[in-house]
Amino acid sequence: MAHSENKSSALMQGVVIFVYLAVLTGIEYFIAVAFDAVPLLIVAAVIKAGLVMYYYMHIYRLGEDDGEDQHSYRYKTGTNRFGLWLFLLSDSFVFAGLMAMRVNLLGLTRPHLNQLLGLAVTAILLISSFFMNRGETAIKYGDRKAFMTNTFITFLLGLGFLLGVVFVEWRQAAHEGLTADFGNPASGPMGAVFYMMTGMHAFHVLTGLIFLGIVWNNARKGIYTADQHWGVEAAAVYWHFVDLVWIFFYPALYLIGTAV
Amino acid sequence: MRNINPFWRGILYLVVLGLVGYGIGLGLDFVMAGELRFSGSVPALFTLLFGFTAFFLGAFGFQGIARGLVWQIVGTLAGGLLVAGIRALMGLPAFGDFFFTEPSWVVGGLTGALSFIVGVGVVDDWIKWARGMDTPEHHEEHYHGWAKYFAVSLDHKVIGIQYTILALLLISIGGLFALIFRTELAASQLQFLTTDMNLFGQNGPQLYNTLMSLHGMIMIVSILLGVSGIINYVVPLLLGAQDMAFPRLNAFSYWIAVPASVLPLMSLVLGGFDTGWTGYPPLSTRAPVGMQMFFLGVFVAGWSSILGALNVIATVLRMRAKGMTAMRMPIFVWAAIATSLIALTATQFIGLSFQLVMFQRLLGMGFFDPAKGGNPVLFQHLFWFYSHPAVYVFVLPGLGVISELLPVFVRKPLFGYRWIAMSSLGIALVGFVVWAHHMFTSGMNEYLRVPFMYSTLLVAVPTGVKFFSWVATIWKGKISTPTPMLFVLGAIVVFLMGGLSGPPNATVSTDLHLHDTYFIVGHFHDTIFGGFVFPFFAAIYYWYPKATGRKMNETLGKLHFWLMTPSFFTLTFGMMYVGLIGMRRRIADYDPALGIDAYHLVMTIAGYLIAVSVIIFLYNFFNSLKNGEKAEGNVWNSRSPEWQVPSPMPAHNYDQPFEVVGEPYDYGLKDSAYVRFAGTAKSTHK
Ligand code: HEM
Ligand SMILES: [Cu+2]
Repeated sequence: MAHSENKSSALMQGVVIFVYLAVLTGIEYFIAVAFDAVPLLIVAAVIKAGLVMYYYMHIYRLGEDDGEDQHSYRYKTGTNRFGLWLFLLSDSFVFAGLMAMRVNLLGLTRPHLNQLLGLAVTAILLISSFFMNRGETAIKYGDRKAFMTNTFITFLLGLGFLLGVVFVEWRQAAHEGLTADFGNPASGPMGAVFYMMTGMHAFHVLTGLIFLGIVWNNARKGIYTADQHWGVEAAAVYWHFVDLVWIFFYPALYLIGTAV
Repeated sequence: MRNINPFWRGILYLVVLGLVGYGIGLGLDFVMAGELRFSGSVPALFTLLFGFTAFFLGAFGFQGIARGLVWQIVGTLAGGLLVAGIRALMGLPAFGDFFFTEPSWVVGGLTGALSFIVGVGVVDDWIKWARGMDTPEHHEEHYHGWAKYFAVSLDHKVIGIQYTILALLLISIGGLFALIFRTELAASQLQFLTTDMNLFGQNGPQLYNTLMSLHGMIMIVSILLGVSGIINYVVPLLLGAQDMAFPRLNAFSYWIAVPASVLPLMSLVLGGFDTGWTGYPPLSTRAPVGMQMFFLGVFVAGWSSILGALNVIATVLRMRAKGMTAMRMPIFVWAAIATSLIALTATQFIGLSFQLVMFQRLLGMGFFDPAKGGNPVLFQHLFWFYSHPAVYVFVLPGLGVISELLPVFVRKPLFGYRWIAMSSLGIALVGFVVWAHHMFTSGMNEYLRVPFMYSTLLVAVPTGVKFFSWVATIWKGKISTPTPMLFVLGAIVVFLMGGLSGPPNATVSTDLHLHDTYFIVGHFHDTIFGGFVFPFFAAIYYWYPKATGRKMNETLGKLHFWLMTPSFFTLTFGMMYVGLIGMRRRIADYDPALGIDAYHLVMTIAGYLIAVSVIIFLYNFFNSLKNGEKAEGNVWNSRSPEWQVPSPMPAHNYDQPFEVVGEPYDYGLKDSAYVRFAGTAKSTHK
């Protein structure tokens, strides 16, 4: 059962899951460098996604029984949860479409990118998910201060990711001849695919940051309690979703196939 | 001034401010181009925007939709000017042929749509939430009478009617476009859309293409809206819910459909576009700015559809009355679920495919440009991955209406309830794996053809299940044929024709001949009329008394039906025939040597007769609001819960909650009730 008995074991669970995710990411990187085995990369990504969806996004809560009273806060939160997951399902089709485009246009090739930078932004986003989870756990036990601190760290890390991609990664890539309009015909459709995928993801990161900012500000006003904090849960799940997308985009852009 | 009817006051405003807009546009155009272009794009654009807004301003004052539209105009100009300014700073030309340059129009179109949303006031509560404030669950209505339908309301019944009215408006506009180009087709050679005419910067054949393309997409948007209209009004009532799961999101989904309708109309005057509703590159990467407005419009309409679908699914999952298990849900609810699952997910793909073309045009990203390593066939895959399932979004609710109403008018249980419920889901699922049947001639990989042929033919199985059930339900029933039933029967026959003309297109060998001919046009008009238009009319005639407390006039209803149905068959069979002997689709003219002039003339006349029948319907619709026969009880003698309470439906739906105690369609079975209301011993009769 995923339910944690008390706060410290809930926090501990967050740590364990984070370690799994970090190790798996390391393995992915190693697989890519050492064997270039696409199926293994896919397996690793799917496992990571499963961990995030179950432990960080607690998808199992969709099945929680809410009792009969349709007007209670609990029941409404349950409905909201369905709504949010339906939204995520819909949104994931955008990313699936981008992925299909990537496979169609690039096949088993990939753009030539700064690997260390890629690993760094991936790590930053993963760590941000870790802190998000701590924040959510904190508010679940009514610890508003810890929630605000952890959310603030999440926010900073998210901002770091966004700036890292848009201002460092994009610049470097452009500098090395990867341009959106294929100014360099030798790179084929690489540039367009790369900027489109990272750009769409970055847009979601941006909306996630705005969401986090709103929730943080509301927590400052003290409107979330241990029993009533749907806003926090929604922001957290959305934030993990953004991470989830990157779990697939990172290997798709940085690891799979050969760089040309 | 105060005493005149809001409608005529609106018309007055429209004329005056429309003229003002024309003057402003003419002036601006003169400043930019240095000559007076009386039939140019810019004056037309300003006339359109000012006139449209002015009508609502005059009718209801500066509130609701009028405020939204004013904000949209300001937002569009602000966004456009911003980009113009940036371009000027970068040393690029700040203004273009259509006043703004293309990037300005795209950004302006988007900021305009967002401004509309803010202006109309549908996000007020969310802004409050973001600032940590609470908002009351249910707002009291601020407006009464017609004004209620042109301002933000959270009541699903009001929203359902808003959707329906917007759908009817768009059907009328799309129909008008069709009549224009159908008239040009009445004889071979170009008669009035000639190469030397010029309107909105387009010559005759170009205008033909624009009108044809817009006809397609505007009709599709209107279908999506009509579907949402019925679902919104009916589903919470059938479930016994007070409202949709997310009333604010529901209002939002409706209101973004309004700018989504304005944007494609703007494309008419911004140079138009000539790709048809499918927008295939490479043509769509070369078409005028109008193309972008079309893309934007579809994109925004897509969000309306996605969020609406989300709401429907959540509502059905979470808001059902006590005792309403899955197999006791009204059949229409199953149809709504199946439709919504498609709309929720697949719609993202049309949004994405159009977005990629937009970026290709704006930034030169060559996703679909082979010269740059892109792949135009990829577009077709992305596009049809939505657009084939989308055809089931159009028809599943309509088929649901047929199954829902049929038992009422034959006084017999619905045959094979479970099979019908599952067939809707089956169609939706299979519908996801057939898309490439639109691409047999596209040059896609050869080995894809046969699998897609078979998967397509597979759709006929769940569709066939529905037909068998309908026939078995009608069999030996006590049939009565008031207007809604006429349309139900019409729907079945028309949809059958559509279904029968499908497999020839799905079979590779025959499709190589049929593709891109008028046969296809005949096929999909039959499916869409049978699957949506006829059931939509049936639903309106059927639930009209529930919404208004009055019935629509029966004689006019029958006239509507008996005028429309034969004309419609004439039109579509004509289409299929000329298609078989070589008439291509999407083309302003055809070779007299084909010898099909006479057919085309007959089809054009039939087209006009359909228009007349729709005008009769519209007259009946609005006239019956005041003069219709009073109908406050269970007019159709239905078992469904919404008919057990007085009409028009009370503001908060059911005063007493009900419990489901039996099967929904056990018509004619003694002492079988579907629902029982709390607090009374009364249950449904018959
Ligand atoms: C038995 C069921 C059906 C089959 C086998 C079928 C098959 C096909 C095929 C193969 C095509 C492509 C033909 C071509 O372009 O060469 C087509 C076109 C089309 N079908 Fe169907 N169809 C079926 C039902 C429907 C339904 C229910 C609709 C709903 C509204 C529909 C709407 C359309 C439309 C709009 C097009 C034209 C798309 C375009 O603009 O190119 N069809 N159909
Ligand atoms: Cu299709």
